[in-house]
Amino acid sequence: MSISLNGVTKYFGRDLVLDDVTDEVPLGSLTALLGPSGSGKSTLLRIIAGLEPLNEGHIELNGRDVTSVPARDRHIGFCFQDYAPFRQLTVSDNVAYGLKVQRMPKAQIRQEVDDLLRLVRLEAFADRYPRQLSGGQRQRMALARALAIKPDVLLLDEPFAALDAQVRGELRGWVRSLQRELGITTILVTHDQTEAMEIADRLVILNEGRIEQVGTPDTMYDKPANDFVQGFLGPITTLNGVAYRPHDIELCAPDEGVAATVTDVIRLGFEVRVVVSDHNGTSSWVQLTHDEAQRLNLIVGERVSLRVRLGAKKNRGPEIPEVFRIKGVESTSD
Amino acid sequence: MLAAPLKETPIAQAKQPPSTGRQLRRVNRRGRRGAAKGLAVTYLSLLVLIPLAALVTNAFNHGLGSFWRAVTQTESIDALRLTLVCAFIASAINAVAGLATAWVLVRDRFVGQGILNAIIDLPFALPTVVAGVIFYTLYGPLSPFHVNITGTWIGITVAIMFVTLPFTVRSVQPVLESLTFNAESAASTLGASPVRVFRTITLPALMPALLTGTGLAFARAIGEYGSVVFISNNLPYRSEVASSYIYSLATSGQTNSAASVAVALLVIALVLLIVFNVTAQRLARNRA
Amino acid sequence: MRRSPVGLRIAVLCYIGVLIGVPLIFVFQQAFIHGFGAFWTALRDQQMDHAIFLTALVALVAVPLNVLFGVGASLWIVRHPSRFTRVLDTIIDVPLAISPIIVGLVLELVYAQGGWFGSLLAKLGWQVMFSFPGIVMASIFVSLPLVSRQVIPLLRELGDHQEQTASTLGASPLRIFFTITLRSITWATAYGVSLTLARVIGEYGAVLIVSGNIALVTQTLTLDIGANFDNFNSYQGFVGAVLLAMASIVLLLILGVARHRERKRNEYLA
Repeated sequence: MSISLNGVTKYFGRDLVLDDVTDEVPLGSLTALLGPSGSGKSTLLRIIAGLEPLNEGHIELNGRDVTSVPARDRHIGFCFQDYAPFRQLTVSDNVAYGLKVQRMPKAQIRQEVDDLLRLVRLEAFADRYPRQLSGGQRQRMALARALAIKPDVLLLDEPFAALDAQVRGELRGWVRSLQRELGITTILVTHDQTEAMEIADRLVILNEGRIEQVGTPDTMYDKPANDFVQGFLGPITTLNGVAYRPHDIELCAPDEGVAATVTDVIRLGFEVRVVVSDHNGTSSWVQLTHDEAQRLNLIVGERVSLRVRLGAKKNRGPEIPEVFRIKGVESTSD
Repeated sequence: MLAAPLKETPIAQAKQPPSTGRQLRRVNRRGRRGAAKGLAVTYLSLLVLIPLAALVTNAFNHGLGSFWRAVTQTESIDALRLTLVCAFIASAINAVAGLATAWVLVRDRFVGQGILNAIIDLPFALPTVVAGVIFYTLYGPLSPFHVNITGTWIGITVAIMFVTLPFTVRSVQPVLESLTFNAESAASTLGASPVRVFRTITLPALMPALLTGTGLAFARAIGEYGSVVFISNNLPYRSEVASSYIYSLATSGQTNSAASVAVALLVIALVLLIVFNVTAQRLARNRA
Repeated sequence: MRRSPVGLRIAVLCYIGVLIGVPLIFVFQQAFIHGFGAFWTALRDQQMDHAIFLTALVALVAVPLNVLFGVGASLWIVRHPSRFTRVLDTIIDVPLAISPIIVGLVLELVYAQGGWFGSLLAKLGWQVMFSFPGIVMASIFVSLPLVSRQVIPLLRELGDHQEQTASTLGASPLRIFFTITLRSITWATAYGVSLTLARVIGEYGAVLIVSGNIALVTQTLTLDIGANFDNFNSYQGFVGAVLLAMASIVLLLILGVARHRERKRNEYLA
């Protein structure tokens, strides 16, 4: 099942929330919808699910135009950030809900629910109520519930945001492997770019309702289409008004680069950040490894010189970016 | 007609070529919504809106002058004054008592706390006339305690205290329950005594809810009838509350006067509620 | 300060004890003062029996109507907000601040013979005032907001993600309503229903005016109690009073259970 978005536009009153969003999600992929809050990513997800109407545009699920099909007939699975458990029902009744709607025979439902609970490792909690589960367990229950109806598409709205860091990490990896195993086309909304880079096959970056860039995590990190994408996907530092990744700036001999003064040295364990300030007062930082930093032994106030590392990929500066939208093909810049 | 909880069809609203199916669905939805609106409006009109309109019309039937005359009759003024005074005293006492009761229910632990919690709602659940006859017998001429406060403002105030206690308790209780101890602990570590902590930290946090609850109690109190009518003896000019006065006017055929005094009473209640609620909101906003 | 001073506890217990406890004990004492036999005889008084029957009938009609309207209006106000629903919300809360005597008066002004609809009703042959429909109307009026005030805050707090999820799982709006929405507000509705029932069987002032207080015809139990006391028939009055007190206690218990169940569910909402 692949998803086609064509010119999806959405207004809330007079505010333009989604502006002509067009994309083609390949079958079986895990696409991350990434963007800052207010970028419209959750709204887009809900529109794909049919929980929200759109103003203009079409949506196709595997070739079928579902633009005016209600949510319950779209055959999708949806997980909310707060998991939205059915509080009055037990865990197994939660998971069985969609199957009961389909009027599946009771014995078969029981079998499927058992299988699903085993898949998400919640079989011991079958007769508990959601309030007796931890956050991570509730999330797994929500997933099992969504997967029960064997949806063609899985839509996850910030599924890990409400969990603490460790559980988040574990669950992320687990969802990734589950998705690969099942091969189900999945869209995941997140504002956390690390998360997106870690598990997604492809990223769609939204900003103020527009797609900024589409591509694989690597492509987008190394060849961002514009400043926004570059800034969003990772740390940047500027030299001479041009933005670079910190690891592309290096210290050099005094006459080979831009003069600057060290204003701070921050040790982060494996890496050390040296914050410098040039004669204009603009601040940049250089990333050194632990050994490099020890060898150089920089102190605050010391004079250094910076230059762009040889072989560093030159990114696009403040000029107008070009964003590629090619249907059916992952976009690359360059 | 119960409203369906969800929009059923996501309809592309602007630039889609119209199709009959989609149009039909849109019309159906609007039709259902309209029917529900009509039903609700009719129900409420017949029950609430039209009667209230009739009240206002009747009160001013013979013009503003006759309205004012009815309201400023000596008997009316006496009744309104007595009602307001007793209601005020009762509400003030219950503001304090309600706060104390909520405190004990939330921050204390003792045997029978559950019973106390349940019994607070009794004045709310008990019919007013039952309270009225009990108080009359308990504190009237046949009192086993040889107390007779019938026909006095004290008797009326006590009856009102009974009826309005749940309002203040139940409005403060949930707020008290949701308060964490963080701010209070912080104040303690800064050297504040428990009383000071209460006065400067806890009480301000509870004030909005307390004000809202007291406002409700006050508004309820000025209209109270069943619990008050027996113990008050209804002596005109002396111990007659506003609601009794309106009743006597209504049953003696002086409908316009009854309506006028009723409108006055409602206006007073409205003003009270607005004052209390606005103050509460303003306090709450300042804290946020 | 986590502990509450013992002095406060004692003061509160005394206050509640005197204000609420003493009257409660007193009414039971007075009703059974002549023993259980006399109580039983008094219960079979014709006027009282009719009053009980009438009160029950009024409750049977008024309470379901109120619940239906209350739940429906609450859902509408919370899930489909609009200017109209905001006005609706305000109007529903109006009866809270109106004296029951005024309630009776305004209904009389419209539905009595000399009232706005008086001649129309006479022409149709429908009697509203001094009759059963009038009592039902007055009962609904005074208890109008009781269900909504419980259900609306809960619906707001719960949000509608559960319903949306159910929709993605294939459920129709009707199914969602019955399996998800209604079940999520059960205890709040039960609380509201108990309050409504208490209010309906306990209403005095409004029904006094609207019914005409005609014994054996339009006299509810509360009116019967009042009439007995007015006629110095206090024992009979206390028997009726204790009946209603017992009903109130039962409703209180239900309220307590409902509140407890709601609290248990909210424990985890946080």
